[in-house]
Amino acid sequence: MTKLQAKNIVKHFDHNGNSVLALDGINLNVEEGDFICIVGPSGCGKSTFLNVVAGLEKPNSGEILLNGKPISTPGPDRIMVFQEGALFPWLKVIDNVEFGLKMAGIPKGERRQISERYLDMMQLTKFADSYIYQLSTGMKQRVAIARALAMDPEILLMDEPFAALDSQTRDLLLVELQLIWERTKKTIIFVTHNISESVILGNRVVVFKNRPAKIKKEFVIDYRRPRLAEDENLQKYYHQILEELKSEVMARIKDENQ
Amino acid sequence: MSEKIISEKKTSYGSLDDVANTALFMAVFIGVWQIVFMLGIWPKISLPSPYMVAESFVKIIWNHSLPVSIGVTLARLVAAFVISIALGTLIGLVMIKFKGFGKMLSSFSAGLLSFPSIAWVPFSILLIGFNDFGILFVVIMSSIFSIMISTYSSIRNIPPIYLDAAKNMGAKGFYLFRHVTIPAATPSLIIGIRQAWSFAWHAIIGAEILMSIVGLGHILSVGRDFLDMGQVIASMITIFAIGLLVDRLLLFKLDERVRRKWGLDQHR
Repeated sequence: MTKLQAKNIVKHFDHNGNSVLALDGINLNVEEGDFICIVGPSGCGKSTFLNVVAGLEKPNSGEILLNGKPISTPGPDRIMVFQEGALFPWLKVIDNVEFGLKMAGIPKGERRQISERYLDMMQLTKFADSYIYQLSTGMKQRVAIARALAMDPEILLMDEPFAALDSQTRDLLLVELQLIWERTKKTIIFVTHNISESVILGNRVVVFKNRPAKIKKEFVIDYRRPRLAEDENLQKYYHQILEELKSEVMARIKDENQ
Repeated sequence: MSEKIISEKKTSYGSLDDVANTALFMAVFIGVWQIVFMLGIWPKISLPSPYMVAESFVKIIWNHSLPVSIGVTLARLVAAFVISIALGTLIGLVMIKFKGFGKMLSSFSAGLLSFPSIAWVPFSILLIGFNDFGILFVVIMSSIFSIMISTYSSIRNIPPIYLDAAKNMGAKGFYLFRHVTIPAATPSLIIGIRQAWSFAWHAIIGAEILMSIVGLGHILSVGRDFLDMGQVIASMITIFAIGLLVDRLLLFKLDERVRRKWGLDQHR
């Protein structure tokens, strides 16, 4: 069943009075339970696309359909995990996880129960009463994931959530995220500039062209899970995607030098 | 996982060490004062000894003029400050809501921020009169602009990602304001309030010297009128002590609590 449909999404930005085309007609169908990774050169517009899906940015034309219904505002059915810094420093870890539930009007006892369950899933129970600054970067991202899962969204949107992590922590979280995906059957759209990350996580990998972003090619990665970073068999997917992405990265560098 | 929690840092302020340091400093200060007095550079009437100032203290406490003055000054100050915070915050929020108005008023207020409080006194006497309301007016005008500017800039400087994340989780309207905007702006708001407090404190003493018949500023100016340097210095010490106590016991503590929670003072 199609969970989310992006129909011909076009987005311009005003940049010093000039209109810059960021998204040039993105069409994407996301099936229920899909784990889609979007890769592209940095600055290509993939995060913009995610923001449009989240409803944080309005497209200039085109529409997003969730379960067949058009959406245009942010909503708890599409929860985003940001790159970093999106946790609230004035709240304890557990209150951060409960924030969205409180907003949704879920009673206190039930809220606590849900957030404790997800903190436990992310192995953060001991830190429930800590403040955010007391956590390492890896723990912060686990709190962010717990906060997103606690909302039980229809779709989980992840915007380079592991980009700021050291590689050991990232490798651990790459496995954890796959386990969570298999356990919760969530539909996930995951944006990254890291090809290995996309190959490890995605059952589909969508390559974006350099700005203006368009879908260049899509790969289906049919391989057993949980996939590990060091798995040699993933190399062939890696190289196929790298081949597509290379020219886009070169184009990006050329753009930036102009 | 090899992650560990950063241990909570203990606050050092208000510890025994600090009290000892302050006591030592005061002892040295009084000692130097006594020596200068004994050198006889100035006549006694211009520079009394620490002991003579202590006598003046006892005198103005005994005849109730000091306790009454403190009470009146603080009552005026609290009234003016409450009005200043309420009105200043309200105007600051309106500035956020209407961008053009906000931009215009923020450059206008920046000019008034450095406007000397004492320069409001003649205006206030002619507009309102030689009374309590005139004094309140001076204090309000001296502190309200820091509150306005701090409300305006604190809210505008909130990292957009907090608002995005909150909206993404379905927060909007008053809930967003109450549970994200206000707490996110708090550390910077407190700095504005501390600044406004110090402006208000400057303003009330100045206004009382010039336009009051009761209050700390008034007993200071009575001291001058009667060539009573002991009373002048005793009043000054009281003003100093109250300013320090309010900042340290109230505003500093508040600031420190918020900063600790946010992890902003790990390098102290």
